[in-house]
Amino acid sequence: MLALKLLPQLLAWTATALLLLRAFSGRRLATAYAAGAGFLGGTAALAVVPGALLYDMVRGFLGAAFLLLWGVSVVVLYQSNRREGASGVRFLNRAPLCGAVALVCGLIAGATCACRLGSGAAGQLLTPLLLAVAGCALVAAALYAERLLSPRITVTPAGLLAALVALALFASSFLIRVDLFAPLSMKVMKGTHDFVHQFMESVLIPDHIFVRQVVWGYIGIFFSKDVGFWGGMVIWFTPVCLLLLAIRLQRLPKVSHIRQGAQRRQVIARAIKERNLRLAVPGFALAVLIAAAYQSQHPTVEYWDPKPLQLTANAAGEIFIPRKGEVNLEDGKLHKYLFKQGEREARFFVLMAPNGKLTVDLDACAICKPDGYGQTEGTLICYYCKTLIPLETIGMTGGCNPVPVQFADTPDGVRLNAASLLNSWGQTIQSTTRPKEGGK
Amino acid sequence: MAAATIETSALTRSYGEICALKPIDLLVPEGEWLSVMGHSGSGKSTLMNLVGGLDRPSGGALKVGGKDLLALSEDGLARFRREYVGIIFQQHHLVPYLSAVENVMLAQYFHSTPDEAEARNALERVGLGHRLKNRPGELSGGEQQRVCIARAIINSPKLLLGDEPTGNLDHKSTMMVMELLKELRAEERFTVVMVTHNQEVAAWGDRTIYLDDGVLVREERTRC
Repeated sequence: MLALKLLPQLLAWTATALLLLRAFSGRRLATAYAAGAGFLGGTAALAVVPGALLYDMVRGFLGAAFLLLWGVSVVVLYQSNRREGASGVRFLNRAPLCGAVALVCGLIAGATCACRLGSGAAGQLLTPLLLAVAGCALVAAALYAERLLSPRITVTPAGLLAALVALALFASSFLIRVDLFAPLSMKVMKGTHDFVHQFMESVLIPDHIFVRQVVWGYIGIFFSKDVGFWGGMVIWFTPVCLLLLAIRLQRLPKVSHIRQGAQRRQVIARAIKERNLRLAVPGFALAVLIAAAYQSQHPTVEYWDPKPLQLTANAAGEIFIPRKGEVNLEDGKLHKYLFKQGEREARFFVLMAPNGKLTVDLDACAICKPDGYGQTEGTLICYYCKTLIPLETIGMTGGCNPVPVQFADTPDGVRLNAASLLNSWGQTIQSTTRPKEGGK
Repeated sequence: MAAATIETSALTRSYGEICALKPIDLLVPEGEWLSVMGHSGSGKSTLMNLVGGLDRPSGGALKVGGKDLLALSEDGLARFRREYVGIIFQQHHLVPYLSAVENVMLAQYFHSTPDEAEARNALERVGLGHRLKNRPGELSGGEQQRVCIARAIINSPKLLLGDEPTGNLDHKSTMMVMELLKELRAEERFTVVMVTHNQEVAAWGDRTIYLDDGVLVREERTRC
C-alpha cells in the first residue's frame, strides 16, 4: 500500500537517477553515490524538519528551480543560432558539479517522498527506513539500466535541467501542499483580476454610462477560472517549448569546404540526426510536465468536507452549537452548518484552530465565488482558487481566508447572532458573485 | 578518396545443393574496370551480388576496400552498400511515380539527406538536364538507364556494379551509356565491376574474366 502510494515519486526518482547518470556518464559512480546520499538526506528530513517547514522548503525549492529553468531556456534560445555545441557542455562531468546536482536532486526527491508519507510517519522508524532503502536500490537499478540505454541518447545541460525540474514537479503534483501548477494558475487568475480591477478603477470605467451589461459580460471573461488555467499552462510549458525551439533552430555545421556532395550530405544528415536525438530529453520533459499539470488538475487527494448540518435559531435570534453534541467541535476537523431563515440562508463552519481556540467563519471568502472550503492535513483549501490556507491563520481576515463571524465562545458551546450571520453572508456573496460575468 | 580494392579467396556460394560459385580467387585493384562474362547461370550475377554486399558467401574470404564483408553485421553490410556501392541494373528499377530528379533524390535520402540541387547537377552530368521533371514512363530506355547511372553515382560510391546495364538498349544507346560511364569513372575514379553478355561492352573494361559453371576459366586484359 505504501509502495503504491509512493509509486509516482519513486518512478520519477528512478527516471531522475537515469538522467543524471547519462548526463554525467563520465562519473557514474560518484553521481550514484551523491544521488543516493541526497535521497537518504531528504528522507531523514522527515524526522529533522518540522512538517510545515519541510513542505515550504520543497515548494520553495521547486519554485526556484522552475524560475531557473525559465531563465536558462531564454538564454539557450538566445544562443540557439550558434554553430558550436550546446552551451554548458564543458561543465558536465566535472566532479563538483556532478556531485552537487545529484545531491540536490536526491534531497528534493527524498523530501518529496517524505512529504508524501506525511507527518504521520515522522515518529516511525521503519517506514522512512524502507523508503531510504528503496531510494538507494532504485539508484543502483538505474546505474545498471543506464548502460542498456542507446549511446546515441545524449543529454544537454539545458535538457537535463528541464527533465529534472519536470520530474520533480511531477512528483510534487501528487501532494497538494507542494504542487506548483494549481497555485500558479491561481496567481495568474488573481493577477489578471487585480490588473483589470485596478485598470477599471484608475479610469473610472465602472461608473461610465456606456459600459452596459453586455460589455461587463466580456470583461467578466478576464475574471473566469479559464484565464488562470490557460495563463498557468502558458507559463508552465513555455520554458520547455523554448528549449525545443532552441534545439530546432540550432544551425547545422558548415559544409561548404567539403568538395564531395555525398560527404557533405552525410555531415548534414549526422548533424540533423544528432539534433533530433537532442530533442528526446526536452520532449520527455514536456510529456512529464503535461502529466504533472493533469495530475494537479485532477488531484487524488480526498478533502474532509462534511455535509452542512442545518441549524435553527431560538426566539431571541441566537444560534447555539454545543461543543460536544451531535459533533465534537474540538476534534480539529471542519464542521459545516447551514442556517436558513425564510428565503435567506448562510453557510458557515466551526473549527478548532491548532492553538486550541474555536473559530467560526463563513464558508466563503471576500474574493472568490462561494464554492466553499475543504480540509486537508494542516490546511483548508478554497475549492474555487485552490489556495491553501494554513489552519493557524483561520479566523484572520484578508486574502482568500474565510470571512470570520462574530460569536461567543462559552464553556458549553458557541453562540451566534442569526441576523448578523445572514447579513455577513449576504454582503459577502453579493460582492463575489455577479450574474453573467462568469466569475468573481 | 581511394576506390575499392576487391580481394576474394576461395569464395563460394551455394544454394542448397547447387553450387553457383565454386572457389574463386580474384584481385581487382582500386580503380580497375573489370568486365565479367559468361553464359547464363555461370555465376556472374552471384559474384557481383557477393562483391556488392547484396548476398553473403557460403565460404571463403571476401574483402572490399579493406572491409571484411563476412565479418560485417546486417547493419554494417547495409551501411557498406549505402556508402560504398552504386549499382546499375538491366531492369532500371526506377520508381514509376517519381520524376527523374526525385528518383535520384530518393537514393540521397537513403544515404543521408536529399539535396535537389546536387541531384539536378548529377542528371545534367548524364545529359538529362532537360528531363528532370519527367517520370520514367516518359523517358526512353537509354534515358532511363542514364537516370540509373545518376542515381548510382550520386552518393560517390567507391565501387560501381553493373548487372548487364546495356542489356535492354540498342547499339547507339549502349555506346552512349558506356561513353558516359567512362567519363564518370575518369572523374570519380571508382572501381567498376560490370557483368555483361556483350563482348563489345566487355571491351570497355581494363580486364575481362570469364566464368563457366561457377568457375573462373579465363581472363584477359583488354586495355593496357
